[in-house]
Amino acid sequence: MSEYIIQTNNLTKQYGEQKSVSAMNLHVKKGRIYGLLGRNGAGKTTTMKMLLGLTKPTSGSIKIFGKSMETNSKDILPHIGSLIESPGFYPNLTGTENLRIFAELRGINKSKCVRDALEVVGLPYRDKKLFAEYSLGMKQRLAIALAVMHNPNLLILDEPINGLDPIGISEMRSFIRELCDVHGKTILISSHILSEIELLADDIWIIDNGILLEEESMKELAKKNSRYVNFMVSDSQRAAEILRTEFECDDFQICDKNRLQLYNTTIPRAEITYVFVKQGLEITEVYLCEETLEDYFKRVTGGEGIA
Amino acid sequence: MLKLVKVEFQKLKRKKFILLVTLSAFMFPLPLSYLMTTPSMMEQYSDKADAFDGLFNMVLGYGIQFLLPCIIGVVAAMLFFIERDNDTFKNIKTIPLSSTQVVTAKIIVLFIIGVVFCIASTIATVLVGMFMLDVYGLGYKIFLAVETGIFITAGTLPLIVIVVFFSRTYIFSVLLCIFYSVLNMSATALFDALPKTILWLLPTPLTTFWSAGDMKRHGINMNLEQMNGLIPSTFQVILILGIMAVISILLIDYLYKKRGE
Repeated sequence: MSEYIIQTNNLTKQYGEQKSVSAMNLHVKKGRIYGLLGRNGAGKTTTMKMLLGLTKPTSGSIKIFGKSMETNSKDILPHIGSLIESPGFYPNLTGTENLRIFAELRGINKSKCVRDALEVVGLPYRDKKLFAEYSLGMKQRLAIALAVMHNPNLLILDEPINGLDPIGISEMRSFIRELCDVHGKTILISSHILSEIELLADDIWIIDNGILLEEESMKELAKKNSRYVNFMVSDSQRAAEILRTEFECDDFQICDKNRLQLYNTTIPRAEITYVFVKQGLEITEVYLCEETLEDYFKRVTGGEGIA
Repeated sequence: MLKLVKVEFQKLKRKKFILLVTLSAFMFPLPLSYLMTTPSMMEQYSDKADAFDGLFNMVLGYGIQFLLPCIIGVVAAMLFFIERDNDTFKNIKTIPLSSTQVVTAKIIVLFIIGVVFCIASTIATVLVGMFMLDVYGLGYKIFLAVETGIFITAGTLPLIVIVVFFSRTYIFSVLLCIFYSVLNMSATALFDALPKTILWLLPTPLTTFWSAGDMKRHGINMNLEQMNGLIPSTFQVILILGIMAVISILLIDYLYKKRGE
């Protein structure tokens, strides 16, 4: 069997002239959380839909669990749990009744699975409240319960924390992390909230205009992300001279008359500060800056933030 | 498939229209029974048993053949729109279940509702009729009701094709159903003016003529002189409605699949 749970080859989806997803090559390893980042319309949901067989690719191929999705979807799909776009349930039924319907169709032990799934997301079992009366957060929780009810090996979750309150988000984060760390599930998750992806994902994909720009582990990303020391001094030109002569360092950038960014973070800041002061420079600020995922996203996509 | 059919019924839980359908089974038997007891009506029949046959015939003609296409149409709209309206098709497709399986289950539900409605109408006729008339031949009448339920539901499937094709609102579907029922009833009433082909292609006239012939064969007093040459055999009815149903199911499946993509 292939080392990848999901592997796509030049996956493309085209609507008329518009390419929603363009020649995407994805590689998903077992037991990791993959964060899918992209603006609205970047192609995240379309990619997820293609992985689930909800929409047919225009070209390219998908392999899940080492099998071709095109010919083996009936064998593959029972091992996948998913939440795509908004939660879809019958409004005239309660949460429990809704889950029972899908449990019945999946042919799994209705009572136990439904009770366990509802417990996991913090919703009451056999509650009389109809789905139509649920808040957005409750609807989202029910959708996650549906996704995990049949104990799938792979979870594909499109914006799962939409509508959840801060505590709900934190609970969901712990729950997803536990699914991966304790139960060895592989999870594909998209979110608008970059900080959430940053806290949750082991690997990230950045998609823009249907093109996969980055496929990187968070560890590698942290290494690649630029770190620098920001100096606010009375004369940045003079500071630059001191760095060249006293520390033999050229890895900096003069931003303006008073601001200098030093990219070599190995030289002790205290030492540099001491020399600057000794040479007659006034220092107002010295601090270490690190690029956030949002900064990185902006840099990679060459534009504004995600929201 | 049984599981799917059961689930389709579960989806209709708390839908008020289903309660209305049950109640509507009594809608025609009640006033028609009262009508049968009026002297002007009673004098048309030889005895109370004959009058009960007349009552059953009227319930079959008005209650079932007029009302059932409307009911089937509206229930079909509910069943076929439910996934679209609630965005649940993605959940079903990722189980995975095919459109054909879902469509088949929904159509089986329509047939069950059609048959149950016809049996309920017959039982309502018997319950109301037993106070005023002589009830007899219950086994045959229930059997005829079951057959009629299956035939009318099969004959209503072309309408369901249109409902699914337009995939509009419930009101649009209800209007379409009423139009279909009125069209069928009008064609039945104009049986002496319309060509046989048209009459046999519409489910209500076809089933009306067949049921009249069938009742006559089972010893029920029927005046069929004017319908000479119009009464089809059971085989002909099954063949015509069977072809109609198969074509309709294939089209519904095709349209439903397209809508789901």
